[in-house]
Amino acid sequence: MKHVIVGVGVGLLLMAGQVRAHHAFSSEFDVKKPLTLKGIIVKWEMINPHSWFHLEVKGPDGQVVEWMIEGGSPNSLIRQGVTKNSIPIGTEVTIEAYAAKDATNKAVGRNFILANGKRLFVGSPGSPDAPPEAAPAAPDAAK
Amino acid sequence: MKHRTLAALSQSGGVLVVAIAVTALAARVAGQAPSSAKPLPAAPAKAAPAAPAAKKWTLPRTPDGQPDLQGYWTNSTYVPLERPDKVTKATYTPEEFAAVIKEAASREAEQTEPGTVADVHYDFTQFGLDKSQSAFVKNDLRTSLIVDPPNGKMPPVTPEGQKRAADRAAERRRMGATTDAVQNMPIGTRCLIMAGSGPPMMNAGYNNNYEIVQGPGYVMILVEMIHDVRIIPIDNRAAALPENMRQWMGDSRGHWEGDTLVIETTNLNGKNPFRGSSENMRVTERIARVDADTLSYKFTITDPATWTAPWTAEAPMTKSVGPIFEHACHEGNYGVTNTLAGARLEDRKAAEGAAKKTSN
Repeated sequence: MKHVIVGVGVGLLLMAGQVRAHHAFSSEFDVKKPLTLKGIIVKWEMINPHSWFHLEVKGPDGQVVEWMIEGGSPNSLIRQGVTKNSIPIGTEVTIEAYAAKDATNKAVGRNFILANGKRLFVGSPGSPDAPPEAAPAAPDAAK
Repeated sequence: MKHRTLAALSQSGGVLVVAIAVTALAARVAGQAPSSAKPLPAAPAKAAPAAPAAKKWTLPRTPDGQPDLQGYWTNSTYVPLERPDKVTKATYTPEEFAAVIKEAASREAEQTEPGTVADVHYDFTQFGLDKSQSAFVKNDLRTSLIVDPPNGKMPPVTPEGQKRAADRAAERRRMGATTDAVQNMPIGTRCLIMAGSGPPMMNAGYNNNYEIVQGPGYVMILVEMIHDVRIIPIDNRAAALPENMRQWMGDSRGHWEGDTLVIETTNLNGKNPFRGSSENMRVTERIARVDADTLSYKFTITDPATWTAPWTAEAPMTKSVGPIFEHACHEGNYGVTNTLAGARLEDRKAAEGAAKKTSN
């Protein structure tokens, strides 16, 4: 049987700024389930094809729930100087996200907003809009 | 998280790639050894020139005399493969091209509308994945990468090529939704291969980086996306593969013509078509070191089953930042599992909903 492989096609799946709906993100996550998660980052899996943030969110009942949030490939950030020590464990973050369709505690993070109001990594050391006195993060507790 | 070295990346190439890496490191050191000139004994001491003229760049060579193409390179560019319809000239003025870049960069930075499908994605700019945040080829003002045909567009597609495209589209429809089975998903989503791997090497959305390492008899090109490796014999040591042996990136053989590396590739398996190509496409690449920060890269596509004529594009590369973090795609590909799990849950909910209706 001739095995047909579905080609990548002309609408390249990873065009930054275009065709964002491609690559089945809207199949993996639900456009009808936006949510805002506020918590602390306990782990950042710097992996490909997409990195994953692990967030501990305290519910109204005081119970801590762990969420897994999808982000981008870390490769470009690493070229900009970001390392595993760049986000200390316990960093507070608010993530505007869309929940996974499989009803687990997973989501894709549209915006990652730090306690100081800045978006994560915008202005990271080495990036084009890095502040001139980009201070290194506090001594990390990261593994 | 461990940061892998090039040696560790040799899993796919075994000892050979490690050997090449070691030789290449030695080559780089040797290439950088400064020569010391003896001063003329009887000449009066010469004052050092106050503003020395720019040192003429000379082509570095590996210990065995190959032009040195090694390093980290990117083909990220704002020049499209084909000339836009509204454009008739071959080159923009610097002002026009600056406007092209500005417009593209602002489109990349545009925020999506909440509640829309386009918004269901991480923001590229937060991860430095938009083109403007990475190195890109800056001094190429052309309106198309294609240089032949002179109109900057691919030649017409043959009837056979059109039929193949229609057959492929029909097969995709027959296979069903991408959420039904992993086999229905694009090969990049499945972490099999990405468009930029080639040959030919073409910039895709992001992570458009390559590393070239040379050793006696071989040139190795590491493609960032899905860490694909091309190991190209350059001294006729390896016989060509037989017709029936086909590979995802084909079978490449290189040779030097002067200081230009010419790579011929055949034996593609046709499963990663380039702009609709057939499995019998032949790719001829020409790579040369233009200066310290630039490689010229030119490719010719010969595929009479698809296009009425061969066509050629030039897609230069500029120096990038290394090392390349391993794009271990399959190992981290939670997305495929999540997508299938979500679709199956929706199927179950729909089935339960339908069952309730019929039992009422």
